[in-house]
Amino acid sequence: MLSRLALHAAGALAPALKNAAPLAPGVLQASRIFHTASPHLAPLPPLPEHGGKIRHGLIPEEFFGFMYPKTGVTGPYVLGTGLILYLLSKEIYVITADTVAAMTTLGLFIYVVKKYGPSIASFADKLREDQLGQAEGLKQASLKGISDAIELEKKQQALVAKRHYLFDVQRNNIAMTLEVFYRERLHKVYTEVKNRLDYHIAKQNMMRRKEQEHMISWVENHVMKSISAQEEKETITKCIADLKVLAKKAQAQSHFLGVERGHFLSLDPTCPCWRDTRLSQRTRVKRESTSIMFIRFPVGALQLILKLCLLFTLS
Amino acid sequence: MAGRKLALKAIDWAAFGEIIPKNQKAIANALKSHNEYLTNRLTALPEKPQVINWAYYKQNIAKPGLVDEFEKKYNELKIPVPEDKYTALVDAEEQEDAKFGAELVKASNARIAELQKDMDKIKNIIPFEQMTVEDLNQAFPHTRLDKKNYPYWPHQPIENL
Repeated sequence: MLSRLALHAAGALAPALKNAAPLAPGVLQASRIFHTASPHLAPLPPLPEHGGKIRHGLIPEEFFGFMYPKTGVTGPYVLGTGLILYLLSKEIYVITADTVAAMTTLGLFIYVVKKYGPSIASFADKLREDQLGQAEGLKQASLKGISDAIELEKKQQALVAKRHYLFDVQRNNIAMTLEVFYRERLHKVYTEVKNRLDYHIAKQNMMRRKEQEHMISWVENHVMKSISAQEEKETITKCIADLKVLAKKAQAQSHFLGVERGHFLSLDPTCPCWRDTRLSQRTRVKRESTSIMFIRFPVGALQLILKLCLLFTLS
Repeated sequence: MAGRKLALKAIDWAAFGEIIPKNQKAIANALKSHNEYLTNRLTALPEKPQVINWAYYKQNIAKPGLVDEFEKKYNELKIPVPEDKYTALVDAEEQEDAKFGAELVKASNARIAELQKDMDKIKNIIPFEQMTVEDLNQAFPHTRLDKKNYPYWPHQPIENL
């Protein structure tokens, strides 16, 4: 995989692993040693974080470790030096123009890798991180979609639990309608019976009134008939005499009223208006009005008296 | 002659509004307004009618037997409580609806189980850092490139790139 190659390159050609490229993201086991993992495991075990240790970019550390017990720390270096001297002196390796070319090329190569290796490694790491982030985002998105779907289902189930309200409303409506009908009927009965009873009472009252009126008129007619001509004449002359007296009184009254109301002032000390200054005006007016009635309607007065008497006796 | 106790259930109008689908909102509103109308009528009518003042009528009506007869017949008269033929229909509808609801819930639960399975499958894939391309194709089948129909790279129609 490209990622593995990138890691390997970064690990191999950046000899100072202590300040190597930053850790790749994700959890990787650092305990696994390169080349010793079993090839039969699935899923593949995670890649080691760093490659095997290497000295001078060429020689693995195991070589030094292998030689250490016998020759100590300087063993491999002495071996290397001896080998190089041997090759040179015996002319197994011949120094030509290519040697110079090779040395300069190698030198340049090492310089470039040392200078730019870390930055390229980090660039490659960033690419890898982006890829992983993308994949992770997709995974989270699909998880969220599924959990949303589950939430929706649960909400629908909750709604199903509330379905009974619809039928409750209908049942309530029915019950209320019936109750309303029942109460209306009760009220109707009440009003009808009351109407009948009131009708009876009204009828009785009306009959009563009619009887009263009929009786009064009958009595009046008889009274009128019973008044003979002679009696009538006597009554009329008496009434006229009374009239004259009352007229005089009324004149005095009106004169006094005029004084009271400020219409005129009497200078005559013998005028009776001076005499009755203490009496209230009201009684005067009342007396005056009743007197006018008696003067003008003698027969009417008789009728009134008769009516009152009859009503009193009959009720 | 006395009214009976009305057994009205308390209604949560918010829940009632929730369960109605959009195309039946008008009917639901009609139902609600009818309910309110009935409630108003019910509160306007008192439970018992006013009592007739028999003593007053006995005093004032001349005919002797009339008031007593009226009183006797009035007290004997029992208005029948109107019988309820319709609650049974509503109950039957509710039973059917309950069955329907139970089916819905069952189907919904089945869906939830499947969704849960999918979710667990996705949760349990190996971390992306340890995946090979084959592992990726296994976990997400849609990422597999069709090498039969498109034998040459990029193994998918150019437009998909």
